[in-house]
Order: sequence, then structure tokens, then C-alpha cells
Amino acid sequence: MLKRDEWLHLARKLDWDYSYVSEKDVFPEEISGRPWLPHSEWRDWEEAFKTSYREYVQNQHDKDAAVYAVRDAVGRLEDVQKLSTPWLSALKVHGAALPLLEFTGLIGNLRGARFGRDSAWRTMATFGALDEYRHTQIPLLLFHELVRWDPQFDWTHKLYHTNNWFAIALRHFIDELTVGQNAIEFHIATNVVLETGFTNLQFVGLASLARDAADHSFEKMVTSIQTDEARHAQIGHPVLATVMKHDPEYGQYLVDKWFWRNWHLFSILTGFSMDYLASGQEHQNSFKEFMEEWIIDQFLRTLAEFGLKKPWYWEIFMEELEIYHHMIYATAYTYRSTLWFDFLIPSPAHRKWLRLKYPKYWDDLEAVWQRIEDHWRAVGPGAQNESAVHASALLAFCDLCQLPLSAGTPRNNTANTLAIDGRKYIFCSEPCRWIFSREPERYANHRELTKRVLAGEAPATLPSLVSEYFRLTPDTWGKDIQAGKYSWL
Amino acid sequence: MSLPLYGFLDGDTIGLLIVADENESIASLARKLQEAGDIRVKPKSEIQLVYQGKVIDPALTVSGAGFSALERFDVRQK
Repeated sequence: MLKRDEWLHLARKLDWDYSYVSEKDVFPEEISGRPWLPHSEWRDWEEAFKTSYREYVQNQHDKDAAVYAVRDAVGRLEDVQKLSTPWLSALKVHGAALPLLEFTGLIGNLRGARFGRDSAWRTMATFGALDEYRHTQIPLLLFHELVRWDPQFDWTHKLYHTNNWFAIALRHFIDELTVGQNAIEFHIATNVVLETGFTNLQFVGLASLARDAADHSFEKMVTSIQTDEARHAQIGHPVLATVMKHDPEYGQYLVDKWFWRNWHLFSILTGFSMDYLASGQEHQNSFKEFMEEWIIDQFLRTLAEFGLKKPWYWEIFMEELEIYHHMIYATAYTYRSTLWFDFLIPSPAHRKWLRLKYPKYWDDLEAVWQRIEDHWRAVGPGAQNESAVHASALLAFCDLCQLPLSAGTPRNNTANTLAIDGRKYIFCSEPCRWIFSREPERYANHRELTKRVLAGEAPATLPSLVSEYFRLTPDTWGKDIQAGKYSWL
Repeated sequence: MSLPLYGFLDGDTIGLLIVADENESIASLARKLQEAGDIRVKPKSEIQLVYQGKVIDPALTVSGAGFSALERFDVRQK
């Protein structure tokens, strides 16, 4: 019997020259990606951590057993029911956004498994697809018991199948990242940008907050998922290395584009949870500090490794780190019924901590929270007064990222308009506008929510949007966790 | 005739869709945005409406001021 090291190379590297069809027929540029290069340019593709199918199955089996053991011990319904309500909102954000996002990662990896340009790449993408299947199934399993208990957990299964504004933004992102993407761009965007950086936020940063929230089941789940990310994220590096050798401008564009797209989405997915919904903020790192530790340092090292420059918008990004998710959270609080989880007003102590962590623009944000509090004082607490402390005007969205026009600061919103081919577009920021302008054929025909309202596709009033278009109901739409009953008001 | 515009109120965290009537005054349009943003920003009496980089006379109408659909306007508050 051969030893592992004697046969693994043969099993991994099994490509051949095609006799009956051309290499381009087998790997068309539209699906494999560009730059289109003959296999001779890809044959040295190597992954740092090699595995066999037998090893993969054994390791994954052991990981699953560990997750289920923790779930059985401390992750049952009665355990979840003891968790703080704000933390439950963080779980609802995760439960709605992540499982099906992971499933589309499976689809993207299967594209790599067929259209990746080297057999070792295709093999690793097959394992990557299996990983993403696991990442879909585990949260669905862990949250399954909760659906009968809390209708908002039940609604999390519905998000992607609705036209909720956040679902529109997620689908726009995912359609381009995974489902409708070629293999090269998928692996660079997903493995190099998303999985080497941003998922650290959601799976490692959030794990430490889960521990603080005494949610050990979720903590175990996300740390276990992250071990798979670390393995299949390695696929993207040799792909990027080859692209940089042949088309460095394109490689730079892909990294710049995807860093920005990931940044906006994760600042909401993770920023909300870290800075507002996790308990005990006063004793923990801020979202900005997690970004600095887990994303920025790592990303800058990756740039240096591949001979990439910092994205041209780096200063804009560093500014947004100070404020963007705060702008969105404050906005979302006043539009909480458009989402499926509950919100809270940060307390004076919490706001003192936020001011300490984000001093540059906190005065402007403090003024917004004080105004919201004024409204609660005027009507008094109680669920019957929720609508009196809720916005009614239609908010506007970016034609690229599909997120609310909340970039810049309260004194200087950076939304900007553009006219192309007789149509008008609006973008929250210069980088979103830049991405759109680079590939207008990709984005021009998509209608963000405001344009759907104006075209008559979506209702023109907020209550009708919430119930008919977003498919939220009185027991699922977001509310103030305390119904305005805060001790300091 | 209605004109959809994007309104940005000084001190607010979001841009809003504001549907203007082309015959309404600029002063009225500014107040409309203040009302829309009231949940987050206290309205003030001293305001200026800015469109395409210029402060617009509050007595003008929306059409008279040359607004076109899906453009941005700002209301500054003092």
C-alpha cells in the first residue's frame, strides 16, 4: 500500500491535454474567468495545506461532533431563552443573513470545482463546497428549535425570499460574488478578500462576544466554521498570484472592488452586533478595533505579499470606519419595523463608551439619539407608541450597494448622482460610483428599492412596503426592545 | 406634476426620497424635508436649501428653480 505522500500528489494533480475539444471549449473564459491563460500557466497552482478526502471526512466528522456536543449541553431552547434580548437580535441578524449566503458559497465553489484551471484547484474547491454545505446546515440546525418559540427566528428563513431592503442588498452582493460569477473572480473575491479578512469579523470577533454573552453554542459554532474558512480561503492566493503575473491592473481592480463591497455589508452585519447588540460593550473591543486587528493588518500584509497597492479609496474607508455603521444603525432604529429583529437605544453609559471609541463624529450622532429620546419622552413609553417614534418618509438607497444613503457624516453626506444613457443613478459614496462606472453593463438594469417604488413595482408608503413587499407582520417586524421604557428617559 | 428628489437634511443620518410638487415653493420643499427627518433631527427656523451647489431663493417654485427628477438637494440648518 502506498503511503499518503506517495499518492496524494498524483491524486491532486491530474490534468491532461485535450484531444477532441480545445482547452477553451472545456474552460470557456465566460465561466472560468479572465485572464484566459493556457494550463501551462496554471500547472504550478499549489495549496499550502493539503488534504485527502479520507482526512477531510475524519476531520469534519470530529468538528461536527464537537459542535453538536456543545449544542446538546448548552445550546437547547431553554438555554437560548436565558440570553439577553439584544444578543438574540444579533443571532437573528446572523441567522437570516448567513446560512443561505454560505449556500451560495457552495455554488461558487462548485463553479471552481468544474471551471478552476488546475486539478488541484478544482479538488480544493470541491472540499470548499462541502465546507459551505456544512456552514449552511449547522446554523439551520442550531436555530431550528427556535422557530416555534420566536416568530422572528422563523422569519429569518424567509429573508432571501422577500424584497426586504436588506435582502435586496444581500442578493445583489451574492449574485455577483458567488451565484453569477466566474471561477477566477469568485475565488479572489471570496477567498482572498471575504474569507481571509471579513469572515474573521463575523466568526472570530463575534465568537468572543458570544462568550461574553454566555452563548457557548453559538461561540462553538462560529469558531468551528472559521477553521474551515482558514483551509479553503487558501484557494484564492495562488489564483491571485497568477492573475497578478499576467494582468496586475485587473487583479488590483478585483481586490479593490471586493474589499469595498464586503466592507459595506459586513459593517452592518457585524458592526450592529459588535457595537450595539452585544452585551457588556463597556468592557470589550469596538467594531473598529476588531477591524483594525483582524482586517486591516491582515489585508495590508496581503497587499504587500502580492505587490498590490492600497485601494485608491483607502482614506475614505478609514473615515467610514469611524462612522458608517453608526449612521446606518441610527437610521435603522428609526426604521426598525422594516427589519426582522429588535433594536435598542444605547444607554448613556453605552454612548459614553461609543464616544470613547469613536470620538471624531460622536457629537453629531449623540444629537440624533437625543432627538429620538425627545420623541419617546413626548409620547411616553409603551408598545402602543412605537409608531410615534418611527420614521414614515421613504429612505433612499445606493444604486450599487443597495444600502441606505448613509455614507459620509450627518454634516456631509457623500451621496452623489450620475447620469448614464439617459438614466439617473445615485450612489452613497465615491467607491460605489466607481465600481458602477467600471462595469455599468453589469449593474445598470438593477433597480434599487426607491426606483422600484417610483416604477410602481413596490408600494409607495412605508406601512405597505413593510407588509406587502418586505412580508413582515406585527409579530415579526422590528421594535424597540424596551418599548421606550428606559430608566434614563 | 410630481418630481422625485433626494433630500439630505443637515445633521441627518440618511438621504430621503422627497416627492416635490413642481409648483410648490422652495420654502415648502425645505420644510417637507425637515418634517421627514424630524424623528432624527430637530427642525430649526433658519434654513437654506442648496441645489447644485447654490443656495436657492425660498420664494421660487421647484420648477422655477430648475430642479430635475432624481437630483440631490440639501437643507442646511443654522
